[in-house]
Amino acid sequence: MGYIDVTGVRHTLPDGRVLLADVSFRIGDGARAALVGENGAGKTTLLRIIAADLVPEAGSVARTGGLGVMRQFIGSVRDDTTVQRLLVDLSPPAVREAWDALEAAELALMETDDERGQMTYAHALSHWGDVGGYDAEVTWDTVTVAALGVPYDRCKYRELSTLSGGEQKRLALEALLRGPDQVLLLDEPDNYLDVPGKRWLEERLLETRKTVLFVSHDRELLARVADRVVTVEGGTAWVHGGGFVSYHEARTARHERLAELRRRWDEEHQRLVDLVRTLQQQAANSPDMANRYHAMQTRLAKFEAAGPPPERPPEQKVAMRLRGGRTGVRAVMAEQLELSGLMKPFDAEIWYGDRVGVLGANGAGKSHFLRLLAGQEVAHTGEWRLGARVVPGFFAQTHAHPEWQDRTLVDLLWHGEPGRPGVDRGRAMAALRRYGLADSGDQMFRTLSGGQQARFQILLLELSGATLLLLDEPTDNLDVLSAEALEEALTAFEGTVMAVTHDRWFARSFDRFLVFGADGRVYESAEPVFDETRVARAR
Amino acid sequence: MVLAALPTVSDLSVRSALTRLSAEFPELGHRSIVLVVRTCREELRGSPNDALPELVERLARQRLRAPAV
Repeated sequence: MGYIDVTGVRHTLPDGRVLLADVSFRIGDGARAALVGENGAGKTTLLRIIAADLVPEAGSVARTGGLGVMRQFIGSVRDDTTVQRLLVDLSPPAVREAWDALEAAELALMETDDERGQMTYAHALSHWGDVGGYDAEVTWDTVTVAALGVPYDRCKYRELSTLSGGEQKRLALEALLRGPDQVLLLDEPDNYLDVPGKRWLEERLLETRKTVLFVSHDRELLARVADRVVTVEGGTAWVHGGGFVSYHEARTARHERLAELRRRWDEEHQRLVDLVRTLQQQAANSPDMANRYHAMQTRLAKFEAAGPPPERPPEQKVAMRLRGGRTGVRAVMAEQLELSGLMKPFDAEIWYGDRVGVLGANGAGKSHFLRLLAGQEVAHTGEWRLGARVVPGFFAQTHAHPEWQDRTLVDLLWHGEPGRPGVDRGRAMAALRRYGLADSGDQMFRTLSGGQQARFQILLLELSGATLLLLDEPTDNLDVLSAEALEEALTAFEGTVMAVTHDRWFARSFDRFLVFGADGRVYESAEPVFDETRVARAR
Repeated sequence: MVLAALPTVSDLSVRSALTRLSAEFPELGHRSIVLVVRTCREELRGSPNDALPELVERLARQRLRAPAV
């Protein structure tokens, strides 16, 4: 039994902008609610407020049933966090605190083995048992076997950075879904999951009796799982009580209703203002009219004090102009190409104008293949080459650009880089505006949301003059609208596109598919193939 | 300290500690070792069963060593 009740929450950004105002909604027991909204609308902030990571400026959040939170960064952990630490962090607060006390007592005992240390350790152990720590360890064993195929004792000290993004996500999801918390907040749980992984997630979310609030941009997952949709837009949130299938229609109807209410309010406001003006003139000649004038003034003041209804949220307009250019007929050729240890040798010919979806199992070498074509160092045997006038432009999966982190977007555009000329501030701002990033021009790259970073990367591709787009999971962090804008831009792009994707909706817009099989075979398919399973490797 | 009912030597955590500590501290005499071990066992009641033998033995060893320091 668990629910979330958000009442009148308000949050202001450090720069003074109101991100959320008067946000109220309730997610009842057993609901599977999707939280959607444009990139930067405040979804993650709202989740952090619900998770009590942030204190709202006004309003409150009530919840029962114990809260389990999967944060967005799981999947891209690159520090020395271990499997054990992740599982502890995902546990209820009492288990976490008991674990920390036990660990501290163990360390103290290693330093000084005296009677006091031993008694502290014994009490910590006893407390660990009392809060259900031993039961948690049994669950963790089930979790690691399910997610990684190995018992807890064999992987607890393993660093998360040695796991793929999908494995990190799966580990966290297994822990939360099997754990005791009855309310789950999942921030982009499907990122880094391959299609079998996404299908697994859909089934688990459909069968769980827990209350789930999740952020996702995967249109297929939203359509299958969500039984209601919470939208963050225009600085507030509203709930569509149906699934994602009827969501677009409901949103359009709401926007029209808001526009109509606002229009009526403006009309009434104008009528009252006109009336006050007329009565003001008449009052100059008649004491009787003076009374009516004052009464009308009071009425107008009350009307204005009550304020207008909320405005229709502005539509996000993302206009991507990926131009490309004519290249040789054969854009990419591979002969007996084998990325060392990842797959069997394969041949491929990609033609100018092809839209190639690169599909297949996690760990099969898809991203490495794209990196190789982008000109990066990747160990391989066999031959590959790009055709005449083919200029590759690469979109990286994890946005791993440490050199960009502490620079502003305008600065990155101004300076350019090899293969991409710099542009002046005026052009930079115009381009950023088209990508819905004008307000972020002077922000550091690292402070952008995942979706904003993704849009910025696509803008860089546009400016680079690439004629071969190599996109590694480009829609993973894009909101639904931006993903649709990218699809439109790719349709208009004059050149060749190769995209690794696990986004089933996006993949259907391609016309050829190169499938990297779990058995190491790379083959062509005319239809998207989503059921390649994970590549089995020794652990 | 008066203990209402000390654990008996049939308790595994007491028995295994007694065996090893008697061999380690022959000069202290069996009776005093039994008393220390049983007291430790009582003080550590509530600890997880699997960890108890080790906890009892370590604490008792600490106390048996203490007078010699």
